[in-house]
Parts: sequence; structure tokens; C-alpha cells
Amino acid sequence: MDTSGQLAAHFFREHSGRMVASLARVYGMEHLDAILDAVQDTFETALTHWRYHGPPHHPRAWLSRVARNKLINALKHASRHHHVGDTEALLHDVSTTDPDPWPADEANTDGQLQLLVACCHPALGERDRILITLHILCGFGIPELANALQMKTEAVKKAVQRSKALLRQKTPNLRQLNLADAARQSPTVCTILYLVFNEGYKATRNAKGIDFDLCYEALRLAKLLHTAAPAEAEVDALLALMFFGVARFPARLAAYGDWIPLEDQNRSLWDQQLIAEGFRYLDQAQHSGYAGNYYLEALIASHHCAAPDFEATDWKAIHHLYQLLENLEPASTLIRLNRLIAKSYAIGPLPVITELETIAVDGTPGIAFLLAATKAHVYQRAGNTTRARAAYEEALSLAQNPLDSQLIRKRMEAI
Amino acid sequence: MKEFLMLIREDANYGELSAEEMQACIEKHYRWVEELTEKGQFKEAQPLEAGGAHIRGKQRIVSDGPFLEGKECVSGYYILLAESLEEAIEIAKGNPDLDWDRAVEVREIMPMED
Repeated sequence: MDTSGQLAAHFFREHSGRMVASLARVYGMEHLDAILDAVQDTFETALTHWRYHGPPHHPRAWLSRVARNKLINALKHASRHHHVGDTEALLHDVSTTDPDPWPADEANTDGQLQLLVACCHPALGERDRILITLHILCGFGIPELANALQMKTEAVKKAVQRSKALLRQKTPNLRQLNLADAARQSPTVCTILYLVFNEGYKATRNAKGIDFDLCYEALRLAKLLHTAAPAEAEVDALLALMFFGVARFPARLAAYGDWIPLEDQNRSLWDQQLIAEGFRYLDQAQHSGYAGNYYLEALIASHHCAAPDFEATDWKAIHHLYQLLENLEPASTLIRLNRLIAKSYAIGPLPVITELETIAVDGTPGIAFLLAATKAHVYQRAGNTTRARAAYEEALSLAQNPLDSQLIRKRMEAI
Repeated sequence: MKEFLMLIREDANYGELSAEEMQACIEKHYRWVEELTEKGQFKEAQPLEAGGAHIRGKQRIVSDGPFLEGKECVSGYYILLAESLEEAIEIAKGNPDLDWDRAVEVREIMPMED
């Protein structure tokens, strides 16, 4: 067995996007299906061989070479059967005229970025963009996507097919997309990465609590976007927000899988190195005067990260930031709810009760549960145990996953 | 020390495995073989190509054999070193392939009697 040792974490997943990007650049987006098949096939071949012999000395080069050969064979085969004619010429051209069909890291990063921008094409629906980005750039298979986004396998399959057809049509040549385009489109890409991150972070539907994979991939792609748009404060703010989020993951879930609310978290479990990364990006965003929602959210998170304990949290500042956020997104019940929570800690639970009672539930998933749970907790802190108990009962009936129910039961016991 | 042949049987369809799972599968095997090598229980291992031929009888009838996708067939082999079949079975139980619901078969290789 080879002694080249271990593969880097997420090596396959990252290389999936890398290989698709390289191949799409050289052979064209019109062969996207064949490219994805070749990449999947390559991993299966790796699984067969590496399982017995260990990873090769240069796993990256091995994967690239095998994927390229598989694609060339598939394209040759297709041209023989459908008389496409000039595919042979294309293959010949590429192998002889392109001295380095496997561009160095820098060019490859560009390729992935171009692919990322293509996947976030505005002609696609939001959900479709999330699906196709994870599928093409992060190597998420259909069952994995269905599981991560709580969708039916058939629905995922159809969405991916649809998006691929559109991508083939709209982005025939990745080389034409340059980095300036990527930077220009960074707001669209940011939206998708923000949604992917939240999809992993939100606990409403998942028994696992946090889907680390989704968060990790969103963070990785945001860093990729940052290489093209280093001057975009929005990207900096998004990265800051993500780092502040992942830094606190270890403290959010107990070893046995229960939610741990902020006030009970062991802050020594927060990853200070990641928090420092967050502050670095926040700093960069700060200098530009940009004050969009990622920035405000990152600032709020930074206050939590900077507080040595729950009592020392600067709730007045957080409350103010939520007010600003609410001005940007007046329709969001979630932001309003969060503002009231901050206010309840800033000036006390009693003054927010009236406003809490006037909030109507909107279409945000899980919002009814959050509202009931928030009311209950505020009543509990205000000393109104009867109201608190009733609201907890209501929350329990609205809970959509075992972690949420568990948390509510614990709080009820504490009354 | 006796030699044992361990055959891996699986249906060679990895379509449902995610990239992460494939990587995990490779890493588990790598660590396992490293461990066996340290204990002196590992001699060699090779995967087998999925295609092949089945040749039968006096007529030498050649068919594709049971290597179709979706059917369980031998996908590779190991030569293990152990004192007894019992020990070989214990070693084989550690094969990570079992975690993916594949099957293994352990047989002692009969040496030529002197």
C-alpha cells in the first residue's frame, strides 16, 4: 500500500467542482452532462483503486488525468455514434495545441468562480440556483441534495436537469466570463451563498440541528468569490457573518444532540481563531461605508462573539442594529422578533410583551414556533408563569423537530 | 502462519454514494490496512475489473458472466495472514466494506503438503 498518507478533509467534494470547472473551460459547457458523468465516474474509479492501494502520490493529478481521459473517451464515443464530426477535431486540437490543459491553481480558481457565477444565473429560480451550485461546485449527488434541503428526490432530479439545460444554453463558453463579470455579479452570488449557509444553520427541519457540510461549502465558495471581488464590502461582510457563525457551532449543540441556548453556552468552546477571522473580514467591510444586511448581521454576531458572558452582552447596541436591519427589511417577522428579544434583554421583558402580542405570523418556515417560544420565554422572565406555560404548550405543538421539542420541555420543567 | 483469501462481494453500483462517503470509504480502508500491516496480518490486496468472461464446460461456452450492474459479484481480494480460520474471521470482520453492507468471504489457501 502506498504511504502517501491521508487525503485533505473534503478533498473529493472540493475537487469535484475543480474538475468540472477545468473540463468545462477546455471542452465547453455544452458537454456539461458528459463532464459531470466523467467526474462521478472518476470518483468511482478512485474508490475502486484507492481502497486497495491507498491514494496515489499526487491524488489531484491522478483525478484530473483520469477524469480527462474518461471525458475524451465519452466524447469520442458520442461522436462516433451521432456523427457529430468535429468533436474528433476538437479533441485533437485540445490535446496538441493546449500545452497545459490542467491549468495551475490560479486559473483553476478562476474556472470555479466562472462556474459559480454561471450557476447563480438570474434566469434560474432561487432554489434551483442553490441546488445546481451544490451539485456542480460541491459534488452533492441527488440523494444528498434531497436530504440536505428536505426535498423529494424526484423533485431534485427535475430541478437539476432543468438548470443544467439552461446552463448549457446560457453559458456556452466559460472563458468569455471574466473576473470583472464575476465581481459585478457578486451580489447575486452572495444571496445564494447566504441562503446555502442559512439552510445549513437553521434548525427548523433537521434532526441533526446544524448541517455543517452546507455551511462549510458556503464558506468555501464565499472565500472563492472573495478572490474575485476583494474590494466588495458585501462579500467581506458575508464572510465575517459566516465565520462568526461557524466559530460558535461547537457550543450550540450538546454532545447528545440537544440545542443549547445562547445564555447557557460554554463560551470557551467558541473557536477564537475563527472569530478572529470574522473580525478581520468585518474590519475590511467597515472601511467601505457599506451597511447592508450582511454587515448588520455580522455586527450583531460580533457583539455576541465579543461578550465574555451572556450578562455582559451589549444588548442596547444589538437592539439598535436590529432596528437598522428592520428598516432595511420591514416585512421580516424574524427580524422583528429578534429585535424584540434584544430589547427584552436591553430594557426588560415587560415593555416588549404588548408588541410581541401584536405580531402576526408570516410565511417564514418555523416562525410560528419561534414566536410562541419567544413569548413563553419572555412571560417566564417577567414572572407570568401561567401565560408562559400556555405559550410553551403552543410552541410544543408547533415544534417541527425533536431538538426544538426537547428544548421546550426542558424550559417547561424549569418553570 | 497460514494464508487466507478474502473475497469482497458487492454490487458495483456506487451511484448512491456521495463524494464525502466515497472519501470516507477510502480512508477507512487505508487506516485498516495500515493497522493489519503493522500486525503482520496483511500480504496483498487487489481490486478486480468489473468486466470479465465466464467460460464453461467442454464446449468452452463463453458468456459475460455475472458481472452485470446491480448484481453482487467479486470486486477484489485480499491475502490475509493468520494462525487459524477463527483469527482470519476476526480480521475480516474489521473490513470497512462491511460498513457499506458489502459481503466478504474468507477461505484458507491450502498449501502443498511436503
